[in-house]
Amino acid sequence: MTSLTSTQPRSTGSSPLAKMLKSPFWLRVGLIAIVVALLEYYGRFHADPAFMRPPSAVLDAFFTSIVSEPKIISALWLCVMEIAVAYAMAVAFGLLIGLVIGATNFSRAALFPIVLMLFAIPQVAFMPLVIMIFGLGPAAKIAFGFSHGIFPIIVNVVAGMRDVKELHVRGAKSMGASNADVIRHVILPNMVPSLFTGLRLGMTLTLLGVILAELYVSTGGVGYYTRVFAENYNPAPLFALTLCLAVIAIVFNELVRIAENRLTPGKRKAPKIQLSESGK
Amino acid sequence: MTQVDKNNDDIAISIKNVTQRFGDEGSPESVLALDNISLDIRKGEFVCLLGPSGCGKSTLLNIVGGLFRPSSGSVTVDGRLVDGKPHPDKIAFVFQESTLFPWYTVIENFHIALKFQGIPKSEWDDRAMTALKAVGMASFAKHYPDQLSVGMRQRVNMARGICVKTGILLMDEPFAALDEQTRMVLGEDLSQLLAETGKTIVFVTHSLAEAVFLSDRIAVISARPGKIKTIIDVKTPHPRSPDFMLEPRFSELRNECYALLRDEIRATMALQRDPQPTGA
Repeated sequence: MTSLTSTQPRSTGSSPLAKMLKSPFWLRVGLIAIVVALLEYYGRFHADPAFMRPPSAVLDAFFTSIVSEPKIISALWLCVMEIAVAYAMAVAFGLLIGLVIGATNFSRAALFPIVLMLFAIPQVAFMPLVIMIFGLGPAAKIAFGFSHGIFPIIVNVVAGMRDVKELHVRGAKSMGASNADVIRHVILPNMVPSLFTGLRLGMTLTLLGVILAELYVSTGGVGYYTRVFAENYNPAPLFALTLCLAVIAIVFNELVRIAENRLTPGKRKAPKIQLSESGK
Repeated sequence: MTQVDKNNDDIAISIKNVTQRFGDEGSPESVLALDNISLDIRKGEFVCLLGPSGCGKSTLLNIVGGLFRPSSGSVTVDGRLVDGKPHPDKIAFVFQESTLFPWYTVIENFHIALKFQGIPKSEWDDRAMTALKAVGMASFAKHYPDQLSVGMRQRVNMARGICVKTGILLMDEPFAALDEQTRMVLGEDLSQLLAETGKTIVFVTHSLAEAVFLSDRIAVISARPGKIKTIIDVKTPHPRSPDFMLEPRFSELRNECYALLRDEIRATMALQRDPQPTGA
């Protein structure tokens, strides 16, 4: 699933259709096309139009009820901004707190359990509290996205710092590296793959937090419009709006993935994510 | 060079009554790793520390390199006391091949080593390329370590130890992760290099053939607590060709080492079966 263009096995003398079936890309496209066609068929001839509409009607609604409505477009844009701000804050604070906690064995032993405990709490339980404190506007969505996104970043930064190989530190010291050199040239670069694992998970959870808060209560955001469409039994624009949210989520996730592939030195893979501190 | 010269100027490393105990004396976890070790190593000499696993040979090497401070006793290098601090201007370490930093390319790994050593930037490329050429790896300067085979990585790692131009090279089981053929080829390279550069090398290994093939002298170390059991003189001049391994003298020395170690290995095994002998 990682590459769109993969090497195709050379099959001599077979038909173009057989060739296409052997390419993972075309198999994937074909599968999606079949699902869309089935939905279209079911939506047109069997479904109750109050609950489900075929993909063609959803596409039509996208142009007639979403793109043409400046209020909905600005609500979507607001949602994008909320995600961006919440994520930027989660990255900045998550990295900072992670570096402080991971700096020494002592600080990790003392503080890391607090983070893991907080991470384990299902935060939806606090939603009314968040709304009460931050109000009905974008602040609550940003706060909720931030509080979701920060934890995986902290956890993976700490894990990445602990993961450093003793041999690398000893090697650097034997070459005369100072403690600052060890941090700059060994511990931080060693942490990068793990950091990106945290950034990817953090992005997923930030999206979850922001969209949860949007759907829970909203006076003019995406959540408000989804409720309006749902309550009016108008599934086509509802589906179109939901698809917009999905596309936003995919774009954000892809941005993080591209950054990861570009910025990880030495093309290393992250170690396994560690969500629990076992033993020492 | 056959006669031990008592002249102090000829001694590169002098180990005097080094004892290393881990944990407080008297406590049940306390382990005596090294027991009163004394050894003088001449300039340009290749000395192997050979012993069963866990006998403290790596500990001794780390003490010589200033990475640990011994519980008692002292080490002097070129007449200067090693006081638990690395002396990167005099001593370079070569560990297993995985000491190369995977987040830096081969050439960057050299740069960072030279930077830690405080060598001016203008010399970095020159020195790195000279060392890489010496091991036949010059065309891989821009590769990341993960893109190289294990044997290639160890060539690079050896070259990194050489490029800093210290008089002394401490090698801690550098070939342990390699297959036997690669190990032998790299051993030949090392013998060649030794003859060219006249470095003093202390080499920790548990391979009998490697010890005999490379060493001027082999210090056989007993099972824990580590003591020098015997010192074997190999007396064949460097560089040594693979033909040396076919000489009867090679097998004799190898068997002699094995006979000495066999008892020690049995002793270690007995210790592992019955960790606290009752004195019966």
